[in-house]
Amino acid sequence: MNDIIKHSIRFVALVIAQAYILNQLEIGFGIQLMVYPLLIFLLPFELGLIYLMLIAFVMGVLIDAVSNTYGLHTSSLLLFAYLRPFIMKVFSPRDGYENQREGNIFEMGPRWFLFVFGTLLAIHHFWFFLLEIFRFDEFFFILQKTILSLPISYMLCYFLQALFVSKPKER
Amino acid sequence: MRNLIAFFRRFRVFLVFVALQIFALSIYFTFLNFPRAQYLTSASAVSGSILTVRNDITKHFNLSKNNDQLQQENIWLRQQLPNSFQRLRNRTYEIDDTLFHQQYLYIPATVINSTVTKMNNYFTLNIGYRQGIKRGMGVFSNKGIVGIIHNTSEHFSVVKSVLTENINIDVMIQPIGLFGILKWDGKDARRGSVTGISNDLKIKKWSKVVTRGGSGIFPRGLMVGHIEKLNPVEGKPLWDVVMRYSEDYRSLQRVYVIKNLMQAEQDTLEAAIPVDKEE
Repeated sequence: MNDIIKHSIRFVALVIAQAYILNQLEIGFGIQLMVYPLLIFLLPFELGLIYLMLIAFVMGVLIDAVSNTYGLHTSSLLLFAYLRPFIMKVFSPRDGYENQREGNIFEMGPRWFLFVFGTLLAIHHFWFFLLEIFRFDEFFFILQKTILSLPISYMLCYFLQALFVSKPKER
Repeated sequence: MRNLIAFFRRFRVFLVFVALQIFALSIYFTFLNFPRAQYLTSASAVSGSILTVRNDITKHFNLSKNNDQLQQENIWLRQQLPNSFQRLRNRTYEIDDTLFHQQYLYIPATVINSTVTKMNNYFTLNIGYRQGIKRGMGVFSNKGIVGIIHNTSEHFSVVKSVLTENINIDVMIQPIGLFGILKWDGKDARRGSVTGISNDLKIKKWSKVVTRGGSGIFPRGLMVGHIEKLNPVEGKPLWDVVMRYSEDYRSLQRVYVIKNLMQAEQDTLEAAIPVDKEE
C-alpha cells in the first residue's frame, strides 16, 4: 500500500477514535485515554521534523475543535512530535534506523517500542495534564492522572498496532 | 545579516516548534479565560453536524429515562391547563386567592401488555391501587384517549380500552358540538364509530372528535380521533360515523391515568336525580 494513503487512513481513523470515542469516555480516577500520538510515532523515520510538527499541529487542532479543549491536544502533540527524533536518537539501535521504515512493534521489536514510545507518551501525558490542571498545588493529582492513564494508553496503542499494522514479510 | 540567516537556518526546526507551540498555548489560555470565539469549537458547522450524527446514535441509550422525564413534565404542564380546573362560581366570598381549583390529576403509567386483535382488548398498566389507581378512572395518551380502568391489583391495573365492544364513552364532534357515543366494531384497531348522530346535520370529513367530559372520567376536549366517513343507518334518522383513532393502539406505550378530584361530588349530586318510573 502506498505510504501516503496508509498514513492518511491512520490519521482519519485516529482522529475519529480519539475525538468521538475516547474523549467521550468517563472512566473515573482522572483517567483519560489518548492514542493519537501513535500516528506521529509511526510516521516514517526519514520524514523531516518540520513536516512532523505540521502534521501534529493539524491533528491536534482537529481533535481540539471537536472536543472543545482548545489548544490542549495541539500543544502536547507538538511537544511529542518535536521530541521524537531526540528520544529516538537516545534509544537508537546499533546500526541506526537505516533498514527500517517506521517504528512499529514488528519492525523495531516490543522492547524498543516500550522504551521510546513509553518515554514520549509519558512526556506527552504529563504535559497534557499539567496544562489541563495548571495548578501546582494539585501536582499530585497531575501525577496521579499521568500515572494511571499512561499504562492504559500504552496498552491501547500496542494492541492497535497488533491488530491493524501488517507484519513485514520475512526477509 | 549573514549571521542572522545562518542562525535561522540552524534553529529553523526549533523556531517552527516554538511558533506553533505559542499559537497552541495562546489559543488554550485565551479560551480558558474568555471562551468567546466561535471557530475551533464543537459549535462550528462541521464538527457540530458530526456531533449531531453521534447524538442520533447515542441518544437512544437514554431514551427510556428521557421519556420518563418528559412524561413528568407533561403531567405538570397538563395540570396547569384550564380544563384541569374548575371555576369557583361563588360570588359572595372567595375561599382561595385563585380563580381555579384543580379538578384533574394525572398519573403516569406504562402499558406493559396489550392486545388489539381480539374482540375486547384490555391493556395492562404497570401501576395499581398502591399508586392510587381506582376502577373507573380514565386513561389517555398524548395522542388520544385509551380507555377506562377496569380492574386494579396492588401493582398493576387493567384498562378496558376503546377497542372493546361496549366502551360507550361520550364524545363530541368538535366544531359543531354534537354529542355521541363511542363504539367499536371489533375489527379494525384503527377505526371506531360514533353513534347517536342525527342525520339532519352536516358533518365535515376529518372534523375532530373529542371527549365530552360528561361523566367526569375524562376532562372535556381530550382528543379521540377524526371523522373519516358517514354511513346512513337503515330505518333511522342517524349517521353511523366512522372515526379514525388519533392514537395507534398497536404501538402504545406511555399513558396517563386521570384522577378526578371532584368525581365523588359529581356522583352524589347525580345520584339525587329521581329515577324515571316509566323505564
